[in-house]
Parts: sequence; C-alpha cells; structure tokens
Amino acid sequence: MTAERSAALHGEVVERDVVIVGGGPAGLSAAARLASAGLAVTILDEQPELGGQYYRRPAPAVAEQWGDHRPDGGRLIARVRAAGAECRTGHLVWGVDDDGRTLLASDAAGHPVRLRARHLVLATGAFERVFPFPGWQLPGVTTPGFAQHLAAGDHTTIGERVVLAGSGPFLLPVACSLIELGVTVVGIAEAGRPYRPSLRALGALGHPARLRELAGYVARLARARVPIWQETVVLRADGRDRVSSVTLAAAARPARPVRTVEVDALCVGYGFRPQTDLARMLGCAVRVDVASGDAVPVTDAAGRASRADVYVVGEAAGIGGVHAAKARGLAAAHDILTREVRETVPVAEVRRVASARRRLARFTALTDSLYPGPAALLATLAPALPADTMVCRCEAVRAEEIRATAAGSADGDLNATKAWSRAGMGPCQGRECGFAVAGLVRSVAPRPGAGDGESRVEVFPSRLPVRPIPLATLLELAGPDSQEGDRS
Amino acid sequence: MTTRTADAVIVGAGVLGASVASHLARSGHRVLVLDRGAPGREGSGTTAGNLHMQAVHTKRPGQAVPLDSARFLPLQRAASDRWETLEEELETSVEVRRTGGFTIAETDEQCRELHDKHGWEAAAGIPTEILDGDAARAALPLLGPTVAAATWCDLDGYANPLKVTPAYLDSAARHGGRTLAFAPVRRITRNGDGWRVVAGHGAAERVVDTPVVVDVAGPWLGEIAAMAGITLRMTPVAIQMHATVRSSATMSHLVQHIGEGLSVKQVAAGNLLIGGGWPALSMDLAGRSGTSLDSLVGNVALAVRVLPFIRDLRLLRMWAGPLAATPDEMPVIGEVPGAPGFYVAGGTYAFTFAPLWGETLRCLIEGKPPPVDISDLGPGRLMVPAGGSARDNGLEQENPQDRRSKRC
Repeated sequence: MTAERSAALHGEVVERDVVIVGGGPAGLSAAARLASAGLAVTILDEQPELGGQYYRRPAPAVAEQWGDHRPDGGRLIARVRAAGAECRTGHLVWGVDDDGRTLLASDAAGHPVRLRARHLVLATGAFERVFPFPGWQLPGVTTPGFAQHLAAGDHTTIGERVVLAGSGPFLLPVACSLIELGVTVVGIAEAGRPYRPSLRALGALGHPARLRELAGYVARLARARVPIWQETVVLRADGRDRVSSVTLAAAARPARPVRTVEVDALCVGYGFRPQTDLARMLGCAVRVDVASGDAVPVTDAAGRASRADVYVVGEAAGIGGVHAAKARGLAAAHDILTREVRETVPVAEVRRVASARRRLARFTALTDSLYPGPAALLATLAPALPADTMVCRCEAVRAEEIRATAAGSADGDLNATKAWSRAGMGPCQGRECGFAVAGLVRSVAPRPGAGDGESRVEVFPSRLPVRPIPLATLLELAGPDSQEGDRS
Repeated sequence: MTTRTADAVIVGAGVLGASVASHLARSGHRVLVLDRGAPGREGSGTTAGNLHMQAVHTKRPGQAVPLDSARFLPLQRAASDRWETLEEELETSVEVRRTGGFTIAETDEQCRELHDKHGWEAAAGIPTEILDGDAARAALPLLGPTVAAATWCDLDGYANPLKVTPAYLDSAARHGGRTLAFAPVRRITRNGDGWRVVAGHGAAERVVDTPVVVDVAGPWLGEIAAMAGITLRMTPVAIQMHATVRSSATMSHLVQHIGEGLSVKQVAAGNLLIGGGWPALSMDLAGRSGTSLDSLVGNVALAVRVLPFIRDLRLLRMWAGPLAATPDEMPVIGEVPGAPGFYVAGGTYAFTFAPLWGETLRCLIEGKPPPVDISDLGPGRLMVPAGGSARDNGLEQENPQDRRSKRC
C-alpha cells in the first residue's frame, strides 16, 4: 500500500546504502569512512557548504585575506568528496514519509527530495541553549554561537564592546576569537565557578586535552586582561534602539544587581542542546538527561538507536565536542561496515576509535562536572525571572502568562502550557524558548503530571515539519495537477 | 481512601465536559470533572474550532457514511444562537468570530448539492445566499478560478478551542465545580441507585459516589461506558490539522468545501488553519497520533486550489487529534437505556454543538424538556445487545438508509 501511494507522490527519490543528515564533524567523519569503503553514501546539509557549525567554511573573500581558521575541516570535506560521497548541500531535511523511513527534504531551490537508505546516520548537531532576561529582544543581544559564526565565516564583529555571559566552556574560545578581531571583551559572566587554580593543575596532568585547551584559553584571556566573573548571571539588558548596558547579578541571588557594564553587544548562551527532532520523528527512543533536562536519544556504543537502521552521532546524541563527535561518527561507520560489508574493519582501527570514544566520554564528563548542570541552573533562574519578561519572542508570551497557565488548568503539563499560552507556537517552533518554558512550568508545578510518560520529557514533541517549509514544496510532491490549479 | 460525593461526575475535560460542568455548576449542582490528562488537550483541544451553521461537506475523506445535513440544520440553528451569547455568559473572550463563511463547490454535481443544501437551510431558518463563482470571487477575491459556486452564511465563524474549554472550566469553578486533571477513571460501578467512580492511582486515588455520570470522554467515550458495562458502537478516529506561519493577507471568512474535506480560516494570531477531516496516519490513544504526509499533501493541494494565495505561505506545524465517531456519523446524546443516571454525549460536530449539548444534558439530568429534539440521537441506537460485538453490528445496514430517504 505504501509503495502504491508513494508512486503517486511526485519528486525525486534517492536510494542509497547510507544517508547521513548533517555535514559537521560527526557526519563528515562517518561519510569519509563509509564512502572510502565503497558504499553509496549521501550526506545532506542545510547550509550551502559542508562543515557544520564547527568547521564552518569562511566566505571565499574572507579565506583569501585571512585564511581558513580550521583547515582540518577543509581537508575532511575534501576527503569526503574524494571518496565519492554524494554531497547535497542546501538541503533541509524536514520530515519523514508515512512509511516511517523515507526522509523528506527540500533542495536549495525548494524542490522536494525523498531519500531512502538501509542505514540512516543522524548527525543533526545542536542548537544553543538560551534563557531569557529582560531586554533580550534588544538589537545587539545575541548568542555566543552567532558571534562566533560572524567571526569565523565573515570576519565580522558582533560589536566593539562585548560582554559574554551564560555558562560553559564555549564562552572562552568565542571570547578569544573576538579578541583576535580587535573587539574589547569587557568581561565574561559565567554562572558557575569552574575556573579555579585547580583547573591549571588538571590541565597539567597531561592527558585531558580538552581541559588543557580550556586552560590555554583562560591564559590568553588573562593576558588580554579580560575579567571572568564567576557565579554571575545576566539580570537584564538596557538600551533604546540597541543594547547599551548589561546588569549582572550573583547566580545565587539572580534578582539582585551587582554590576552594570556599558556594552554595544551582549552574547548569552548556556551551552548547547542536542537537536533530536528527526530522531524522535523516526521513533527512536529518548531518555531524559537528568543534568541537562534534555531529551537524549538512547544509543549503544556505536551510536545505534532503538531502531536498528538509525544511528545518532555527534552533538545530536549528547553534547561532547568536536573530538567526541568525530569518534562517534567513525564508530557508527564501523558498525555499518561490519553489518553491510563482509570484510571486517581492521581490529586495530576499531579499537583505536572505541578507546578514543571512551576516553573522550570521560573527559566530557569531567569537563561537564566543572560547570553547573543546566537543569540545576534552570531551577535557580526560572523562579527569579521577572513576570513581564518576554519568554517566547515569536508569539510575545511573557513569563507570568506561562506561569499562570502551567499552575492553572495545564497542571504542570508542558504541552498543555504550550497550547494554552502559545509559548513555543511561533516560527522557531520552540527551539528558542523551550528550555525556559520547561523551567517555568516546573518552577510553578513541581510535580510532573502523573502517569503520562511523555509529560515527564522536558521537551516539546517533535512534529513535522522540523522547520517551516514552503507549501509550494508540498505542492510539488502532490504532482503537476496541483501546480496548475486546474481541475478539469 | 476517602469517599467523596458529587451531584454529577463528568468524565472528560474536553469542550463538552467543560460545557456541561459549567451549565450544571451554574444551576447549583456540585460537579466534579475528571480527565486522564491535561484538560482540553485531546479531541476538542486539537480541533479546528469552526462554527459552521450552514451545512458543509457531507463526507470527509475516508468517511464511510454521509452526514444527514437536513437533520442537522435545526440543531445548528439552535447552536448558533448559543454561541452568540457565549462570551457574555462565560465573562471572557474566547475569540469567537462570527464573520461569516463560504461553502464552495467546484463541479456541477457539487453545485447541485449546494442548491439542495440551500433549500434545507431555508427550511431550518438559517439564512444562506447562493453566489455563482464570479460573485463569490467578487465577495472574496482570494478565491481561486475553480470555484464554480458558493453559499454564503452570515452566521458562520470560529472560536479558539484552546480558550473555550478553559473558559467553561473557569466558569464551572466560579460556581463551585472542580476539575481533576491527570486522574484517569479506572472503575465505574453501580452503587445503590447511583454510581461509584474510582479515578487516579495510589495516593492520588479518588473514590466518588454520585447519582449522575456524564460520559463525554470523546475518543474514550466507548471505553468509559464499557467500565459501566455498557457496550456502544463508537469508533475513535484520528484526523489531522495544518497551520501555516502568520500571514499578512487578511481573510476574515471561514471557507469550506461542499464535496471534499476542506476548512480554511485565518485565526486571530494570523496563522492560516487548514483542515477538513483528513485522516491521520495512525491513532494512538495512549500517546500522540501520527500525522500523514499523504493527507497533508492532499489537503494542502486542495486548499491552494481553492485559495491560491496560500501557496506562498510556509507550513509551520501539523498535528493529529482523535475524535469520537459513531457508525452513522450522527451525534450521540442522552441517557443510556437501562442505566439510569448514566449519560453520554459526543460524536459529530461536538465543538459547534458544545454550548447546546451542555444545556441539553443539564435539562436531561434535571428532568426538564431539552431545548431541541434529541429523541433520535440517544445512545440506544448504538447499544450492542448482550453477547454481540461492536464489529458484528455495523450500523451501515440500518440507519443510513432511513436517513438518506429523509434527504431525498
């Protein structure tokens, strides 16, 4: 019945051994290995060029003048292409067909493409974890990731005097990138207290490369005399047409101001959240990560999800950084090769990747332990959020409306709170405000709705389309008749 | 375990449950509304919110039996009056927009149906006007070239289902009514002349003795009735809805289709809502029903054909929601024969009829004459005799014939 119906839909259908969604470090690593073993591989990415956020390619003019900030990314992309993987950039994967396995995508021109494979590798990455504060909708207020994107891709600065705030190791390299561009980083407000003298000691232990890397950033920032205000959070941003000052508070007392700083840009981010819409839409089981409050796909050591034909790798499987992402991509590739091709992957290679993956997982856990867990942070920040703060910017829903809905008839149910308050119903589909809405719901209705498993998952459910897509794309799937608008 | 009492236990905090709770509470009854999850989050909370007072399509895609429009129309007339005063009655806005609506036809056969429908509407006191395609396009220039004719009805409109149900529940609460969310009903047993209802689990378990149980559990209506030993031929089905991003184009009227499943309107926030009863991919009463790409593509293609400007918008979201369906596609409302004090209501047009059905149930429970004749809509016709199963007793062989003959 499915085949019959699918035949009725129009648009190209791509059949491959492996389809990889996401052209960042994890997806590229998997693609290079699988394609070099001779499998028919397609890798898709939404962006016009492969690389993902980490290996974001600089614009040609930027590369010519300033060079490539991450040349290893360029080399990895070249390997993927040389190995014969089909690279479909500018392709948005927005859903799953009724058969539960065919991916629905649209190409750069908006034409529909359907893709089927014996193995799907989801390397959909992460999005930034944001938390609202009064004034966060002012121009000049953005995320560290966006500032990094401008710096790396366009060699453009987000502002002249910048405060970075939030939590997590990512704030440090962003600060260093901005300093290299000549920006005055007025200070870094870190919600936790990770930067103790012991950090340098940890780095000096020799092997935890990531901690040593962090210590290196701290040292560079010290040389540039950038203060790191620990246990400090943003209380509010002020400005007329654009942010002109930021007021900070102690994390323990987030409603009480301690310092106001003049800025022309403010970047606030609390790390990253795995992008799991597609995995969830494919029916992959997820678990709630207690420390982060995020839904994380359940996977085995090779990244295989609860569905045997789906792998989730890289940041989409849990935040771990570029090295872990590459190791996970390779581990999934090895597993697929073992299943798909008779000849086995060399034992030494499998061991090397598996041991790197385990080592990196330990380092990630160690690094994570330095910073406050997002779920714990949320429990502190959400109750202190002023009532009139705009939490959902797409739909202009304020904190007090969300609290009232959650405490009222929604009875602590995240989804009911969304439907009744409209928070999360706008074009960003809750990616921006979801974390905060979940925190606000919990802060006024601490008991999760009894009995219903879904209500304990602190994320909005995954719905098609993953991103808003033009209806014209759907009309092409319906066939030429609906294009004409003619019935006869 | 504490046993409480109530004058009426209402099972299901959807729009019907909320409406009857409000009507009963305002008449001084002590009511308790129980819901398995968050109130208003299933059937009526996922519906389009259309208030169609003129007749619409007689068959949505996948529907086995046509609706009996002629029988419906007097009820729609009565429902219309109640929506007129609802916001006043509930003391709040529920985004009721009575800006009128079109039911369009594209083929010759559909045009003939449109004329039949117009006749029944006139007989029921519902003012509709027939326009040819050009006149319809002159009235609503957004309509596309395939529209061959349309009926216009001033009374059509819509309301926000996400506001109506909470407003009814708030109204009930102001008069002492109580709502318990996340309290799934587990047992319903005879208790003397009345009923004992057990809901929730563990420490949250509630035992309530009551003379009246109102089963308005939407897709779970049959399941709840079965707890009381009543077998009804009700089949839950799931349909899906689609929403575009906000649009600056202004379309203030409801647009529906006489021959195919289509309803389109622009809601207060500016999003276009596209529905019409297209089937979902799968129904999952324990979780989230699956949406169908096939229905999405079909419904959107139809919407764009009738309203070409939609082509330039983006699809923001789609969802599937369950609804209660009777084998004859007619509403069910009334006391269950042989089970005094046990009332059921649900089925077709539950949202449009919610204010009317709330009032009707109150009248039935109080032993007063109902505001409309519902004698042929009672649950008796859906009851399965002892030993029979719902599947062996498809109603297709019986009622639809009578109903069709009424239409001709």
